[in-house]
Amino acid sequence: MSTNPRVQSAIPGQPAHFGSVMAQQPLLLGRFGELYGTFWSKGVVDHRTKEVARMRNARVTDCGF
Amino acid sequence: MAWFPGTTIEAPAFERWLAHRPELNTLYKRFYGTFWDDALLPRSLLEMCRVRIAQLHDCDAELLVSDPLAELEPPKREAIPLWEHSESFSPAERAALAIAEKFPWAHHSISDEEHAELANHFDERQIVALTVALALFDANCRLRLVFDLEGVAAETTPGSAAGPLH
Repeated sequence: MSTNPRVQSAIPGQPAHFGSVMAQQPLLLGRFGELYGTFWSKGVVDHRTKEVARMRNARVTDCGF
Repeated sequence: MAWFPGTTIEAPAFERWLAHRPELNTLYKRFYGTFWDDALLPRSLLEMCRVRIAQLHDCDAELLVSDPLAELEPPKREAIPLWEHSESFSPAERAALAIAEKFPWAHHSISDEEHAELANHFDERQIVALTVALALFDANCRLRLVFDLEGVAAETTPGSAAGPLH
Protein backbone atom coordinates (compact mmCIF):
# COMPACT_ATOMS: atom_id res chain seq x y z
CA MET A 1 0.00 0.00 0.00
CA SER A 2 1.27 3.42 -0.89
CA THR A 3 2.02 5.88 1.89
CA ASN A 4 1.51 8.80 -0.48
CA PRO A 5 -1.74 9.78 -2.17
CA ARG A 6 -1.88 8.28 -5.66
CA VAL A 7 -4.48 10.73 -6.91
CA GLN A 8 -4.30 14.46 -6.42
CA SER A 9 -6.85 16.69 -4.76
CA ALA A 10 -9.25 18.37 -7.17
CA ILE A 11 -9.82 21.22 -4.73
CA PRO A 12 -7.13 23.93 -4.86
CA GLY A 13 -5.41 24.45 -1.52
CA GLN A 14 -6.66 21.22 -0.01
CA PRO A 15 -4.58 18.09 0.51
CA ALA A 16 -5.64 14.80 -1.01
CA HIS A 17 -8.34 13.32 1.20
CA PHE A 18 -11.46 11.30 0.50
CA GLY A 19 -13.61 14.27 -0.47
CA SER A 20 -11.01 16.23 -2.40
CA VAL A 21 -9.97 13.19 -4.43
CA MET A 22 -13.57 12.17 -5.08
CA ALA A 23 -14.06 15.73 -6.30
CA GLN A 24 -12.20 14.66 -9.43
CA GLN A 25 -15.64 13.29 -10.33
CA PRO A 26 -18.14 15.89 -9.07
CA LEU A 27 -21.18 13.92 -10.25
CA LEU A 28 -20.08 10.81 -8.37
CA LEU A 29 -19.18 12.82 -5.29
CA GLY A 30 -22.58 14.50 -5.23
CA ARG A 31 -24.49 11.26 -5.59
CA PHE A 32 -22.31 9.49 -3.04
CA GLY A 33 -22.93 12.36 -0.63
CA GLU A 34 -26.70 12.04 -1.06
CA LEU A 35 -26.59 8.31 -0.37
CA TYR A 36 -24.09 8.29 2.48
CA GLY A 37 -25.58 11.38 4.08
CA THR A 38 -29.03 9.80 4.06
CA PHE A 39 -27.60 6.62 5.53
CA TRP A 40 -26.18 8.55 8.47
CA SER A 41 -28.87 11.14 9.02
CA LYS A 42 -31.98 8.95 8.70
CA GLY A 43 -32.90 5.35 9.08
CA VAL A 44 -34.03 2.48 11.21
CA VAL A 45 -30.65 1.52 12.72
CA ASP A 46 -29.46 3.64 15.62
CA HIS A 47 -26.41 5.84 15.17
CA ARG A 48 -24.31 4.04 17.79
CA THR A 49 -24.71 0.68 16.05
CA LYS A 50 -23.76 2.16 12.69
CA GLU A 51 -20.65 3.76 14.21
CA VAL A 52 -19.56 0.53 15.91
CA ALA A 53 -19.96 -1.33 12.60
CA ARG A 54 -18.07 1.40 10.72
CA MET A 55 -15.16 1.28 13.17
CA ARG A 56 -15.02 -2.51 13.13
CA ASN A 57 -15.08 -2.59 9.35
CA ALA A 58 -12.20 -0.09 9.23
CA ARG A 59 -10.16 -2.26 11.58
CA VAL A 60 -10.83 -5.47 9.67
CA THR A 61 -9.99 -3.70 6.42
CA ASP A 62 -6.89 -2.23 8.11
CA CYS A 63 -7.87 1.26 7.04
CA GLY A 64 -6.04 3.70 9.29
CA PHE A 65 -7.67 6.69 7.66
CA MET B 1 -32.91 -19.02 -0.66
CA ALA B 2 -32.40 -15.58 0.81
CA TRP B 3 -32.25 -15.23 4.59
CA PHE B 4 -35.22 -12.91 4.65
CA PRO B 5 -37.81 -12.04 2.02
CA GLY B 6 -37.50 -9.10 -0.27
CA THR B 7 -40.27 -6.62 -0.82
CA THR B 8 -43.01 -7.46 -3.28
CA ILE B 9 -42.21 -4.74 -5.82
CA GLU B 10 -41.83 -5.83 -9.44
CA ALA B 11 -38.05 -5.77 -9.72
CA PRO B 12 -35.01 -8.06 -9.83
CA ALA B 13 -34.12 -9.75 -6.54
CA PHE B 14 -31.33 -7.34 -5.67
CA GLU B 15 -33.66 -4.37 -5.91
CA ARG B 16 -36.55 -6.13 -4.14
CA TRP B 17 -34.24 -6.54 -1.18
CA LEU B 18 -32.84 -2.99 -1.27
CA ALA B 19 -36.40 -1.68 -1.53
CA HIS B 20 -36.89 -2.44 2.14
CA ARG B 21 -35.39 1.05 2.38
CA PRO B 22 -36.96 2.85 -0.60
CA GLU B 23 -35.07 6.08 -0.09
CA LEU B 24 -31.69 4.34 0.05
CA ASN B 25 -32.66 2.16 -2.92
CA THR B 26 -33.40 5.22 -5.05
CA LEU B 27 -30.18 6.98 -4.05
CA TYR B 28 -28.11 3.84 -4.52
CA LYS B 29 -29.49 3.39 -8.03
CA ARG B 30 -28.63 7.01 -8.81
CA PHE B 31 -25.10 6.56 -7.50
CA TYR B 32 -24.41 3.15 -9.07
CA GLY B 33 -26.24 4.11 -12.25
CA THR B 34 -23.91 7.07 -12.80
CA PHE B 35 -21.37 4.79 -14.44
CA TRP B 36 -23.77 3.75 -17.19
CA ASP B 37 -26.14 6.71 -17.33
CA ASP B 38 -23.33 9.24 -17.59
CA ALA B 39 -20.74 7.16 -19.44
CA LEU B 40 -17.85 7.87 -17.10
CA LEU B 41 -15.77 5.04 -18.58
CA PRO B 42 -16.00 2.71 -21.61
CA ARG B 43 -18.77 0.19 -21.00
CA SER B 44 -16.56 -2.69 -22.11
CA LEU B 45 -13.99 -1.77 -19.45
CA LEU B 46 -16.66 -1.57 -16.74
CA GLU B 47 -18.11 -4.90 -17.83
CA MET B 48 -14.85 -6.83 -17.81
CA CYS B 49 -13.93 -5.45 -14.38
CA ARG B 50 -17.43 -6.18 -13.01
CA VAL B 51 -17.25 -9.75 -14.31
CA ARG B 52 -13.72 -10.31 -12.97
CA ILE B 53 -14.65 -9.14 -9.48
CA ALA B 54 -17.75 -11.36 -9.51
CA GLN B 55 -15.56 -14.30 -10.54
CA LEU B 56 -13.16 -13.61 -7.68
CA HIS B 57 -16.13 -13.61 -5.27
CA ASP B 58 -17.60 -16.70 -6.95
CA CYS B 59 -20.83 -14.70 -7.09
CA ASP B 60 -23.13 -16.51 -9.53
CA ALA B 61 -25.95 -13.97 -9.12
CA GLU B 62 -23.74 -11.16 -10.36
CA LEU B 63 -22.32 -13.30 -13.16
CA LEU B 64 -25.81 -13.97 -14.50
CA VAL B 65 -26.07 -10.31 -15.47
CA SER B 66 -24.54 -9.33 -18.78
CA ASP B 67 -24.42 -5.85 -20.31
CA PRO B 68 -25.13 -6.18 -24.06
CA LEU B 69 -24.11 -2.58 -24.72
CA ALA B 70 -20.60 -3.41 -23.51
CA GLU B 71 -20.25 -5.37 -26.76
CA LEU B 72 -17.82 -7.85 -25.26
CA GLU B 73 -17.38 -10.61 -27.80
CA PRO B 74 -17.90 -14.11 -26.29
CA PRO B 75 -14.25 -15.16 -26.72
CA LYS B 76 -13.09 -12.07 -24.87
CA ARG B 77 -15.66 -12.54 -22.10
CA GLU B 78 -14.52 -16.14 -21.74
CA ALA B 79 -10.90 -15.01 -21.51
CA ILE B 80 -11.51 -12.73 -18.51
CA PRO B 81 -10.54 -15.31 -15.83
CA LEU B 82 -7.19 -15.77 -17.59
CA TRP B 83 -6.68 -12.16 -18.64
CA GLU B 84 -3.08 -12.16 -17.38
CA HIS B 85 -2.19 -14.85 -19.93
CA SER B 86 -4.44 -13.68 -22.76
CA GLU B 87 -3.58 -11.45 -25.69
CA SER B 88 -7.20 -10.35 -26.03
CA PHE B 89 -6.82 -7.35 -23.75
CA SER B 90 -5.28 -3.97 -24.49
CA PRO B 91 -2.60 -2.49 -22.22
CA ALA B 92 -5.19 -0.10 -20.72
CA GLU B 93 -7.60 -2.98 -20.04
CA ARG B 94 -4.80 -5.01 -18.47
CA ALA B 95 -3.85 -2.10 -16.21
CA ALA B 96 -7.46 -1.82 -15.01
CA LEU B 97 -7.86 -5.58 -14.59
CA ALA B 98 -4.67 -5.70 -12.51
CA ILE B 99 -6.30 -3.37 -9.99
CA ALA B 100 -9.63 -5.23 -10.17
CA GLU B 101 -7.79 -8.51 -9.54
CA LYS B 102 -6.61 -7.32 -6.13
CA PHE B 103 -9.63 -5.28 -5.12
CA PRO B 104 -11.69 -7.92 -3.27
CA TRP B 105 -9.04 -9.74 -1.26
CA ALA B 106 -5.66 -8.04 -1.70
CA HIS B 107 -6.31 -4.31 -1.80
CA HIS B 108 -3.30 -3.58 0.42
CA SER B 109 -0.99 -5.17 -2.10
CA ILE B 110 -1.87 -2.89 -5.00
CA SER B 111 1.60 -1.62 -5.80
CA ASP B 112 2.89 1.77 -6.84
CA GLU B 113 4.00 0.13 -10.09
CA GLU B 114 0.52 -1.16 -10.82
CA HIS B 115 -0.94 2.25 -10.09
CA ALA B 116 1.68 3.94 -12.26
CA GLU B 117 0.71 1.66 -15.14
CA LEU B 118 -2.92 2.64 -14.62
CA ALA B 119 -1.91 6.29 -14.76
CA ASN B 120 -0.17 5.64 -18.07
CA HIS B 121 -3.57 4.97 -19.63
CA PHE B 122 -6.12 6.93 -17.62
CA ASP B 123 -6.28 10.48 -16.27
CA GLU B 124 -7.08 11.21 -12.65
CA ARG B 125 -10.81 11.69 -13.28
CA GLN B 126 -10.94 8.27 -14.93
CA ILE B 127 -8.88 6.66 -12.16
CA VAL B 128 -11.28 7.95 -9.53
CA ALA B 129 -14.27 6.72 -11.55
CA LEU B 130 -12.70 3.31 -12.07
CA THR B 131 -11.75 2.90 -8.42
CA VAL B 132 -15.23 3.80 -7.20
CA ALA B 133 -16.73 1.43 -9.78
CA LEU B 134 -14.51 -1.40 -8.54
CA ALA B 135 -15.56 -0.67 -4.95
CA LEU B 136 -19.23 -0.88 -5.92
CA PHE B 137 -18.78 -4.08 -7.93
CA ASP B 138 -17.09 -5.55 -4.87
CA ALA B 139 -19.82 -4.27 -2.54
CA ASN B 140 -22.62 -5.60 -4.75
CA CYS B 141 -21.14 -9.09 -4.69
CA ARG B 142 -20.76 -8.95 -0.93
CA LEU B 143 -24.38 -7.84 -0.51
CA ARG B 144 -25.68 -10.58 -2.78
CA LEU B 145 -23.60 -13.25 -1.03
CA VAL B 146 -24.22 -12.13 2.54
CA PHE B 147 -27.99 -12.15 1.95
CA ASP B 148 -27.82 -15.21 -0.28
CA LEU B 149 -29.87 -13.54 -2.99
CA GLU B 150 -30.83 -15.61 -6.00
CA GLY B 151 -29.77 -14.46 -9.43
CA VAL B 152 -31.69 -14.28 -12.67
CA ALA B 153 -30.05 -14.32 -16.08
CA ALA B 154 -30.46 -10.89 -17.62
CA GLU B 155 -28.93 -9.15 -20.60
CA THR B 156 -29.28 -5.59 -19.46
CA THR B 157 -27.54 -2.51 -18.15
CA PRO B 158 -26.41 -3.50 -14.64
CA GLY B 159 -27.50 -0.22 -13.06
CA SER B 160 -29.42 2.93 -13.90
CA ALA B 161 -31.20 5.64 -11.97
CA ALA B 162 -34.22 5.17 -14.20
CA GLY B 163 -34.29 1.41 -14.62
CA PRO B 164 -34.18 -1.69 -12.46
CA LEU B 165 -31.12 -2.57 -10.45
CA HIS B 166 -29.84 -5.97 -11.52
